[in-house]
Amino acid sequence: MISKEEVQNLAQLVRLQLTEEETASLQRDISNILDYVGQVSSVNAAGEKDKPVLRNVMRADEPRPEGDQLAHKEEALRAAFPKQKADFNIVRKIIQKDE
Amino acid sequence: MSELNKLTIAEASKKLQAGEVTAVDLARACMEEAKKRSSLNAYLEIFDDVEEQARLADARRALSPTKGKETPLLGIPLAIKDNILIEGRKVSAASKMLENYVASYDATIIRKLKEAGAVFIGRTNMDEFAMGGSTENSAFGPTKNPLDESRVPGGSSGGSAAAVAANLALGAIGTDTGGSIREPASFCGIVGFKPTYGAVSRSGLIAMGSSLDQAGPLTRSVEDAEIIFNAIHGRDPLDSTTVDDSLYPKKTPTKKIGVPRALLEQGIDKDVLETFNQKLEVLKANGYEVVDVDIPSASLALAIYYVIMPAEVSTNLARLDGVRYGLSLKGSSLLEDYAKTRGEGFGPETRRRIMLGTYVLSSGYYDAYYGKAILAREKLTKEFVSVLQQVDAIVTPTAPSPAIKIGEKSDPLSMYLLDIFTVTANITGNPAISIPMGTVEREGKQLPVGIQFTTAHGDESTLFNIGKQIEEFMH
Repeated sequence: MISKEEVQNLAQLVRLQLTEEETASLQRDISNILDYVGQVSSVNAAGEKDKPVLRNVMRADEPRPEGDQLAHKEEALRAAFPKQKADFNIVRKIIQKDE
Repeated sequence: MSELNKLTIAEASKKLQAGEVTAVDLARACMEEAKKRSSLNAYLEIFDDVEEQARLADARRALSPTKGKETPLLGIPLAIKDNILIEGRKVSAASKMLENYVASYDATIIRKLKEAGAVFIGRTNMDEFAMGGSTENSAFGPTKNPLDESRVPGGSSGGSAAAVAANLALGAIGTDTGGSIREPASFCGIVGFKPTYGAVSRSGLIAMGSSLDQAGPLTRSVEDAEIIFNAIHGRDPLDSTTVDDSLYPKKTPTKKIGVPRALLEQGIDKDVLETFNQKLEVLKANGYEVVDVDIPSASLALAIYYVIMPAEVSTNLARLDGVRYGLSLKGSSLLEDYAKTRGEGFGPETRRRIMLGTYVLSSGYYDAYYGKAILAREKLTKEFVSVLQQVDAIVTPTAPSPAIKIGEKSDPLSMYLLDIFTVTANITGNPAISIPMGTVEREGKQLPVGIQFTTAHGDESTLFNIGKQIEEFMH
């Protein structure tokens, strides 16, 4: 069973606020699921080890008009800003003293 | 005229070409039925311009010298899963996080469907961010199974499946990451098809597991599934994982079907297995050779899936932080802003998978879980490639049971076990289809169950051919 501290640490890493209750239920659920998926460690895949699983796909570097992809999209993107002022997205200061 | 909403796409297309019906008639019939059956909660939104779209399709047909013969989807009303972007329309992935989000561009498949002249009736309910097998994880309430409203329609494309089964659209588009098209198709008694990974562009789908996701059709017939597939597939510069049709070598059919017997030994309802075995006899009686095949790593499929999928989920959903779009809640610090937005914006199953995915990717556990899972995935894929050189298709039931009751499975792991037969095709990238194979009785009601065929990569044509024959045998 994974510990309460591990769950809290994970929640911190993924930026999730959890209640006490959910922390306890996640401890139980994640442990159960890990027990099940732990089967993957039994795989004998010695033959697969050195071969790349994925390969790169490259496309031709073809010029296209500037802003082509986003043409007429500015308004829509702006409209999605959670908080805005004069066409700018208002965000919280990133570098700040702990309040 | 009252039964127009029950037509297959192929039938409706013929009637449209012959001038017997109009796209407006079809759209109205579907919308009327949708209103009558609003208790199903199949649609999150019915678009307000459906008739206008239909009129445009009728106008386009009037101008066509062939009356639209080469565009079988012209004027056909379709339901679209709520994780597929249509420019200018809301798309929420059934999450509070994106409740009011408006798409700023068309998904490639939407662009193709628009070019084909399809009419979009509305966006359908789903499990939040496509995570679930029952549509109970929607932030906007569960969808009900049209055949028994106390039961789930399956998921995650449950709204799309219910819309087709209840005749609220002629066909629907869903997405399938671990069975999310095929399992609801099985539960609702319709056809559900997941194409080869890379056959259909993922540009403009709200990503869940990017190495697993594919969009595909839910329809009333295999022919209809093929019509939609023909319209949406193809290489797309906006999705570098799409492939050319010519990538995979063409196979010569052997009329051999493989059954992975070892997989069917446990965890499957007795009557579902009996129905399945009867259908194998039907296949034999119709000239197919049915052989047992050995896929040693197949028993690991679900474990592989529930490592790789949450890992990709945790990565993909990291972008939802309330800064640029979507729900944005305020805390007392930047860190709290994020934690509050994500804690309240995501539902419980989504939070669980984000946590699990981060765990299996984290230092110290990566090698034991994610590292092993990708090796096992590679091994399983090779086994599939090899078996599918000997047989035309691998066959299993689509799901181990018929539709479950709403609220029946509260333990996440027992819910995950419903995916046992479907996840494999997503892990290996093979195309797979679920076709109704009969019914089993639960509490005095006949509930449909599906049979699933999987063919070699890129071999959709064999899948459709077998599928059409199966439909004939079943009648």
